[in-house]
Amino acid sequence: MAVSYSATEGKSKGFYTALVVVALFLAAGLIGFTVAYLKGHVMFGSNNAVPWGLPIIVAIYLIGLSAGSLILSSLTYVFNKEEYKPISRMAVFLAIVLIFGALIAIGVDLGRPEKSWRLFMFFYLNNMTSMFAINGILYGGYFAISLGYLGVILANNMKWAKRMGTFAVCWAMLVHMGTGAIFGFIQAREIMNSPIKPFEFLGAALVSGLALLIIVVVVTLRATNREYDRKIVHDLGKLLAIFIGILILLVTVDKLTHIYGPHRDAAMWLMTGPYWWMFWGLQVFCAYIVPLAILIPRKSRENVNALVVAGAFVVVGIFGERLALVIPGTAYPLHLYPGHIEGVWGEVGSFALMPAEIFLSLGLFALVGLLYIFGLKYLQLLPSEKRVKVEPISEKVASEQAPAQDTPVTEQPAEA
Amino acid sequence: MAKWGMVIDLGKCTGCQACTIACKEENNVPYGSPDEQKRRLEMYWHKVITASEGEYPNVTTVVIPMPCMHCDDPSCVTVCPAKATYKRSDGIVMQNFRRCIGCKYCIVACPYAARSFNYKEQEDKEYHHQDRTPDRSVRGPWPFPHRTHGVVEKCTFCFHRIDQGLKEGKEIGVDVEPACVEACPARARAFGDLDNPQSPVSQLLGNKEWMRLQEAKGTSPKVFYLPK
Repeated sequence: MAVSYSATEGKSKGFYTALVVVALFLAAGLIGFTVAYLKGHVMFGSNNAVPWGLPIIVAIYLIGLSAGSLILSSLTYVFNKEEYKPISRMAVFLAIVLIFGALIAIGVDLGRPEKSWRLFMFFYLNNMTSMFAINGILYGGYFAISLGYLGVILANNMKWAKRMGTFAVCWAMLVHMGTGAIFGFIQAREIMNSPIKPFEFLGAALVSGLALLIIVVVVTLRATNREYDRKIVHDLGKLLAIFIGILILLVTVDKLTHIYGPHRDAAMWLMTGPYWWMFWGLQVFCAYIVPLAILIPRKSRENVNALVVAGAFVVVGIFGERLALVIPGTAYPLHLYPGHIEGVWGEVGSFALMPAEIFLSLGLFALVGLLYIFGLKYLQLLPSEKRVKVEPISEKVASEQAPAQDTPVTEQPAEA
Repeated sequence: MAKWGMVIDLGKCTGCQACTIACKEENNVPYGSPDEQKRRLEMYWHKVITASEGEYPNVTTVVIPMPCMHCDDPSCVTVCPAKATYKRSDGIVMQNFRRCIGCKYCIVACPYAARSFNYKEQEDKEYHHQDRTPDRSVRGPWPFPHRTHGVVEKCTFCFHRIDQGLKEGKEIGVDVEPACVEACPARARAFGDLDNPQSPVSQLLGNKEWMRLQEAKGTSPKVFYLPK
């Protein structure tokens, strides 16, 4: 099946509206970052009890989306599923802008962002036993490899696309497993510590990446007035249901290993304590139950709009899954001494969402959205228009829907 | 090479917090407002926690002063990506503020909550200036005259006192002690070389029952407690 690609014209009103909206969010993010940089992390909600806040959650979340999106592009370029070809370029490009956003997110979350270069001085200034340093190799390499991958795809070199694709997909799996290891390998925090965490992260990456891809594909193709085969989206929906099933299995095993033994306090606290809503409300309800309820019945499974809604729930829910790992994982008090620890040292850590980090997080999502929109204009990512419509009606439709482009990426923090 | 360690006698400790204050003063650790303390934004290189067991009227409480444990197998050193935290050859776990990038991974990895992040630009107080430091002629060097926000800080076992003392040929643990040990009015703390059987810490550990915190984590702390 030969598919030709083209860029969107990028002259419609909708295109510019989307650009302006995203740029405004980006500006807000820049302000948030500047304030936090000058005043210190007191402007963030994090503290010595919950040292990691929203920006780091956004970072690992974007990495997951990126890895998932890239792995899915392998359907075309590695497994030769020709029917996914029209959306594969989008998937690869999305993966690149997402990992770029994630790298920026990691940088701005540091206490001293100007020293972030130190993360990439491998084997020289880095302590290579640190999962952060190892992930520095994984993330940096991943960014470079996926750029090369996109290069050969844009050059239409199918032989190399397969080779690069195989390599990039294996690397992408390592990337998100490494991210899981950041948390899974920490023995001091009972909720995080788990050998299954890397695999759980990989599962979550596939789920969230696929869900985002469904949203982005449908919204982009509609907004740019492209014809597309509904069956692609239906098949992606089926795949999403399977991935959610796998993820539920992994999460269940993880929680069961924590609950089964007598050291079950932390896991029970996660599910019944003050942060129960992150686990049950966002992670379980939004990421697993609602999407499965949409994806299992045949009627809704074959409705593209319903699939987009399911995707939106997953995207929000997986953000909640990250939230439910990082915040309660560190907020649960350390057992410094047997018995009840009095005062602040035995209290559950509190976490207040502060304006600076909300703006910063929105700005990070906006950065990803902005790069994606520019990509649509300057790179040949979209399948060519089969049916050329120049009537003003379609222009109107496009302009109405174009602003929706950035909604999947900017809406999440507000809901989470 | 010496291996520095500390022994804290919980039976003698009255929970007066003189150690916490002495540490703040010695290392110029900023004070925080009550609100910041509640939000856990205040920095503590040394803290005193209280653990209670049982219910009134059958309740026991233990007061546990906690400096950094200076673990033999420190998880903070394992996770630091920038080599900002490292173990010296004498066993002191140090933090280099210049190298620290502020990723806070060590705070997450430390099972003793011994580390604090510097959350804000500190007020411009007189004692923050090296050229206007308080009279240090009796106390020796003052290692941390000013601070920058955005890095992680921790207890150093008052390495500056130890290094200076060794240079002057003094006996560590007898003539020279970390600030918290020196300040303890109940003489509940002892400091010295764990490898030297004659040192005050070795004497205490050899004669009494001792324990360490969170042994199950396998970090082998070098702060020992004599139970109440």
